[in-house]
Amino acid sequence: MHRRLGVLLGLVVLAVLALLLPQFGGDYYVHIFALVFTNVILAASLRPSLTCGQLNIGHSAFMSIGAYTSALLAKNLAVPFEISLLGGALLATAVGWAIGYPSLRLRGVYFAMVTVAFVEVIRLIAQLWVPLTRGMSGLSGIPKPSVLGMTLSTRTGQYYLALVLMLATLLVLWKLEHSRLGLIWRSIGMADHLAQSLGVNIARHKLLAFMLGCFFAGIAGGFYAHFIRFLFPPEFGFLMATNILVYNYVGGRGHFVGPIVGAVFLSLLSEPFRGSPYETIFFSIAMLLTILFLPGGLITLPRKLAELRWWRTASAPTPSPAA
Amino acid sequence: MSLLEARNLTRLFGGLAAVNHVDLSVDEGEIVGLIGPNGAGKTTCFNLLSGFLRPTLGSIVLAGEDITGLRPHQIASRGLIRTFQLTTLFQEMTALENVLLGLHLHSDKGPRRVLFGRRAFPADEIARGREVLEFTGLVSHADQLTRNLPHGHQRVLGIAMALAARPRLLMLDEPVTGMNLDESGRVMELVKTIRGRGTTILLVEHNMRAVMGTCERIVVLNFGQKLAEGTPAEVSTSPDVIQAYLGTGVNHA
Amino acid sequence: MTPALFVQSAIIGVSLASIYILMALGLTLMFGMMHIINFAHGAVYMLGAFVIYYVFFQGGAPYFAAFVASMILLGIFGYLVERSIYRPIKGGIEPTLVALIALTTFLQAAGYPVFGQLDKHVPPVFPGTRNILGVGISIERLMIIPLAGALVIGLYLFINKTRLGAAMRAIEQDKEAAALQGVNVHVVNGLAFAVGFALAAASGALMAPIFKLDPMMGEQPLLKAFIIIILGGLGSIPGAILGGLMLGLIDSIIATALGAEPAFLLSFVFIILVLLFKPTGLFGYAP
Repeated sequence: MHRRLGVLLGLVVLAVLALLLPQFGGDYYVHIFALVFTNVILAASLRPSLTCGQLNIGHSAFMSIGAYTSALLAKNLAVPFEISLLGGALLATAVGWAIGYPSLRLRGVYFAMVTVAFVEVIRLIAQLWVPLTRGMSGLSGIPKPSVLGMTLSTRTGQYYLALVLMLATLLVLWKLEHSRLGLIWRSIGMADHLAQSLGVNIARHKLLAFMLGCFFAGIAGGFYAHFIRFLFPPEFGFLMATNILVYNYVGGRGHFVGPIVGAVFLSLLSEPFRGSPYETIFFSIAMLLTILFLPGGLITLPRKLAELRWWRTASAPTPSPAA
Repeated sequence: MSLLEARNLTRLFGGLAAVNHVDLSVDEGEIVGLIGPNGAGKTTCFNLLSGFLRPTLGSIVLAGEDITGLRPHQIASRGLIRTFQLTTLFQEMTALENVLLGLHLHSDKGPRRVLFGRRAFPADEIARGREVLEFTGLVSHADQLTRNLPHGHQRVLGIAMALAARPRLLMLDEPVTGMNLDESGRVMELVKTIRGRGTTILLVEHNMRAVMGTCERIVVLNFGQKLAEGTPAEVSTSPDVIQAYLGTGVNHA
Repeated sequence: MTPALFVQSAIIGVSLASIYILMALGLTLMFGMMHIINFAHGAVYMLGAFVIYYVFFQGGAPYFAAFVASMILLGIFGYLVERSIYRPIKGGIEPTLVALIALTTFLQAAGYPVFGQLDKHVPPVFPGTRNILGVGISIERLMIIPLAGALVIGLYLFINKTRLGAAMRAIEQDKEAAALQGVNVHVVNGLAFAVGFALAAASGALMAPIFKLDPMMGEQPLLKAFIIIILGGLGSIPGAILGGLMLGLIDSIIATALGAEPAFLLSFVFIILVLLFKPTGLFGYAP
């Protein structure tokens, strides 16, 4: 019961901090945190697929689909933000189905290779379809987000939008992970043939988990498009896809908060050298070190430290009998 | 009437026949043993029947329905449930969660339940899960992580999961391999009790003696072919069978 | 497309295919033994090309010496990667893949400050063109075919005729049984890493005089190699060779007609169709 209370208290503090940030942080922090929230959506939405044991290395492609679709719907057809956002997410989901259906029936590495190649496919399409996407000149003039006809013109308003989108995403994903579906995903990740023998249609569940991820990646992309208001094909390349994977591994795979911790921690820490090669160097070293020395990710760090301390206090005062 | 009827079952691996023209039938309510020395094709046979491998030739009929070429989960949903050798379990889950997955086929999977249910599993499913654990003698370990259970308990949990799926035909893959006499005796008692409740059982076993007292009929495979079939007494005195077991130097104690 | 242009793109296709095949063979070999896909293969290709730049162009060593140096250096690197990444992770496939992805992005990103921002060029090793059926083909590109062919034959002989090769095949079939028979699985896996990396380095070294060098140059060949092994069936060496030839030819002919990017998009659509209708690849058989 104490634990539950502690968790609840922690959540309340976090919520208050998130709500108050625009009051004491400047526009800079508001901007940064809106992007951090986008990264959280991306990282958390990759988790169902990873739980099924499917290495999706192409998540940025689905973000790109959501971003371009929503931006073009709003810009060219004056579709309201809510609908264009949903449209982008649905198209990302549909494309996810088309890619996932053939490749998820096979062993995991096929899926991993197909998703990597798919990042390149989407980048090339965005780059080559110049009449629609403006190609390498980049797509600009994307309208600001609006809610019920009201344009969110300030950074603060957009920040709250990002916060709401993130919380809604996390709520849905949390609920699913703690439902029967979550147990099935874990079962597929642990021993897929055993799950099959108990009547679980593993291909369908892997596809479902993957499409769910595509949907929320599309949402993240849609928000990003209307927030930054400029889209450039190479942004959604292999590096962004691996970053999303890194958030999950560095944060930790064992718990729902893993990808959230990973996304917040790494996005903030890498902020000073964003856009330079040093950002990637930092990310890849963080990833390698975590996998080799902290396989459970950052979320297991407190326990590891506690074990270390316990070990010290337990072993220090007892003199060895030989001495 | 036979519940399971496999005819002319054949599976080639790169030109070599792992299972070669095998006919196999299991009647409703029977306990049948499928035995043979190492490499005789027992496991391949098992994988063919449960859909994990596609037969190169032959047909499989379950309760009058042709199930040849169906995928494993489709076969499971028609009432043929198998276990795996050794401790293939969901090691990072609790014993109860393992059994709840066993209940998968008979559970409420509506999206309303998944998204808006207050708990992941309704009380009646949890009750059913605990009932299965009670029956198999594992209920005191319900909330322990599977990987922390002793080896013997893990093996029984594998059977419990399969039971939760309410099989018409339960196929057990080497359920007592690696167990001592005492443990294997208890597992065989459990198997008999399960049959007593009306479940048909097909048992694959390497250890001939373990199945002698339990099975009513035994099919012996050797080099992918059916070598003998009959009651335990008939089979154990068949010169062909003795030759096969002794010939490969296998200790059948 | 005129017949002359067709012949030209077919020959260029075969020479491209040779490079892709070298890449794909290393991937397939490592997959067969360890069930991992070496995502760092493209980065190793890039490093292989940069060794040529520094040793041959800057250092003035003979091309073949630089070529061998590239293979040996990156072969050693491959062995070290097995020791420091694959082995500590103890066969966990997914964490290994993620670690290899991290290694890739590290090598690529570190390439910019280390090699400089600008593209590098290596002067031609075999200058001039040769007239084949009335079309001029650069000798540089033609030479790739026999050199890569020699490496493929070398690999074949190594795997089938040497004791180490036999140990590799044993691990591919059954790791436990191989260990029981006294094969040192760690050392042989390390060797597979070394051979795979050396082949990727050789591909990069062969391509160095033809394309410009930059830290991201390995990305395209890596994706091509992925497409080849999906096409040919994972773990199948004949599949990798036939798949490589197919992709090289289609790629070059479509690229000549439509451009390189549409060629890549089409090949992706093609593998999705292959996965849909023949999931084990065109030349693979069901496991």
